Amino acid sequence: MGEMKLFFGPNHPGLHGNFSVHMYVEGDTIIRARPVPGFLHRGFEKLMERRLWYQNLALIPRICVQEPDINEACYAMAIEKIAKVDVPERAQWIRMIVLELARIANHMWAFGGVGGPTGMYTSMYWSVADRDKVLDLFEELSGARIYHMYIIPGGVRKDFPPHFEEKLVKLLDYIEGRLPEYETFVLKNRILHTRLRGIATIDTETCLKIGVTGIGLRATGVPYDIRKVAPYLFYDRVEFDVPTATEGDALARISLKPQEIRQSIRIIRQALEYMPSGPVNAKIADGNGLRIRVPKGMAYAKVESTRGEYGYLVVSNGEEKPYRVAVRGASYPQGLYGVEHLMPGTRIDDVPIWLDTMGVCAPEIDR
Amino acid sequence: MMNSMNDASVGQDVEKVFGELKSMFDGCETVQIDTRQYKLVVPSDKMLGMLTYLKSIGYSHLSIITCVDWIDEKKFELVYVLFNWLNGVTFLVSTFIDRDRPIFYTVKDMWPTAEYYERDVHEFFGVEFEGNENCKKPLMLELWDDLPPLRKDFDPLQYSKEHFPDRTYEKDPIHEARIIRGDIEGDTEGGEIDG
Amino acid sequence: MDKIEKIDERGVWEKIADQLRSRSMWMLHYCTGCGAVELPPSTTSRFDMERLGMGPMATPRQADLFLITGYLSTKTLRRVIYTYEKMADPKYVIGFGSCTINGGIYYDSYSTINRLDQYLPVDLYIAGCMPRPEAILNAFTKLMEMIRKGEADGWKRYKENYEWYKQNQLRSLGEVVVYDEFHE
Repeated sequence: MGEMKLFFGPNHPGLHGNFSVHMYVEGDTIIRARPVPGFLHRGFEKLMERRLWYQNLALIPRICVQEPDINEACYAMAIEKIAKVDVPERAQWIRMIVLELARIANHMWAFGGVGGPTGMYTSMYWSVADRDKVLDLFEELSGARIYHMYIIPGGVRKDFPPHFEEKLVKLLDYIEGRLPEYETFVLKNRILHTRLRGIATIDTETCLKIGVTGIGLRATGVPYDIRKVAPYLFYDRVEFDVPTATEGDALARISLKPQEIRQSIRIIRQALEYMPSGPVNAKIADGNGLRIRVPKGMAYAKVESTRGEYGYLVVSNGEEKPYRVAVRGASYPQGLYGVEHLMPGTRIDDVPIWLDTMGVCAPEIDR
Repeated sequence: MMNSMNDASVGQDVEKVFGELKSMFDGCETVQIDTRQYKLVVPSDKMLGMLTYLKSIGYSHLSIITCVDWIDEKKFELVYVLFNWLNGVTFLVSTFIDRDRPIFYTVKDMWPTAEYYERDVHEFFGVEFEGNENCKKPLMLELWDDLPPLRKDFDPLQYSKEHFPDRTYEKDPIHEARIIRGDIEGDTEGGEIDG
Repeated sequence: MDKIEKIDERGVWEKIADQLRSRSMWMLHYCTGCGAVELPPSTTSRFDMERLGMGPMATPRQADLFLITGYLSTKTLRRVIYTYEKMADPKYVIGFGSCTINGGIYYDSYSTINRLDQYLPVDLYIAGCMPRPEAILNAFTKLMEMIRKGEADGWKRYKENYEWYKQNQLRSLGEVVVYDEFHE
């Protein structure tokens, strides 16, 4: 049997996001593969140079569609590093709560979403409906379900609305009560075990060589987490564990997600306890109101997102508009290098499992 | 892994590293941005040696390679962001190259993913990387025939107006004046958009 | 401004067929832009889309409805035109989000188009950035009413004005061909 060309193209229900993989296959095995990004390219880095510092807040969440709050947090933290501004304490705790809620929502999406490439659609129906409850809370807090624009340079936009904390605690209890059901349904399922065990493996040395971070690295046994190694916000004042697994295959990565949800719930509960009262935003620099000027400088701010290290490099020239903003998408190594060099030798149906469990998010590669 | 080093010991480690760097490579300047973030500016012929040395002492994670266009000084600034997993320190290592003939060396033998970062920088700024033969293949743009888009002399609004026609809205001032005066309630009449 | 009344030119069989078609439309599962993140919530149990008779479908040959979710970069637009021309008649297009109406917040981008109906015939727009799932379901019911009344005739307009659409596509895109350097 000779080689055949196959477009695993953008119009495919197995790939979430607009991403394409072109490959040569022989039977069921891949001989050569090439990723094709660029379908969602909007030219963000050019657009951000043409708008004022605060006007960029409307553009920023749209870079990573599944977890938009990390964009706002990185942008705000980079500006605060350049301008050397102290953010009030209550704002930092609120930012932590928002980031952890976004992490819970994205983990629920991905955990149920593993049913998509493997054919078990019920898990997706459950988890997306539960994720909607988190989005309801976001709507009450900031006014929109998906793109919040809530974290701004200097703090957050507004304080919590009344009775928000009780609703948040009720939601956390509900999610914690549902997690055992999800684990039984997804992780103790014989079909998923045969589909996921031993598939799309990667070992620690390759991960560190190509720069994979996040769950892909922790599933090989190494507990590297940016929140512990280089803490930002107040992650050094709360207690939480970093769950790891040892096999490094798709099943190990999926089994880490409910454990991370539990740790996020733990962090939010501690944050609600330790939060003082006070102001929630600080003035950044001179300039009136919304036309601020940030002093000259360059800074790089990063957070630990659900897929790995996500960072913004902000360069300022002392004017009202940014001079250059560069975005480091977390799925760059695994989506581009991983597909071209690690996929050959595996089967065609392993490609969507690799892309799904590693959390390759196409908009953050294309920007 | 709990980071058992506190900020003071991290600061001492970094000072030691800077001492060695300044003795090995002259012309290197350092700036502190934050508690665990420093910027190093190096002349372009010493850059590869500096990156190899930093990788060997623990700064082995490359986050991104990117470029800043300083059009007034006619230079491109290439920035390499390195990270050390053991003490959590980030280095922004940068160098200046000429804007009219932007050529630099590849680092893809040290960090394999650098092939894609360099393709990205080439596509958007026009910087050539010697040793990276895939550099000229387009990654994000298709059938692009204009200036590299992220240079400062490229105007995206003009490009958008030439190639992608806009929608024109007709203003009906009498109708709007009636709404402002309150003679007409609501504006459902003007709500249809026809193609 | 008076609305021009459209004359209903359908025959008897087509009217009956439209009544039946509108109650079981299949939507092409192609997530073209960032609006696609609100599609799973409207498909799954909370805002169930299947009670309207709609469900996702993988191939263009068997789909009726093409939902352009959000902005379109030029690279995606070439594939979207291929996909639209492969769908079987009758087919309907819904423009989802403000970016299909006038470019949205990417109006000055060098890589996204500004007006979708220059390149494809659009039957209905949903405004918002991003629209809620309730707005999506509202749009679907409105489209079904339009089909029953015979107003959703985008596919007929495409065939009649083919030259005009092609000219716009070539002017903006250069050429509508999908190259594949890997395999050449």
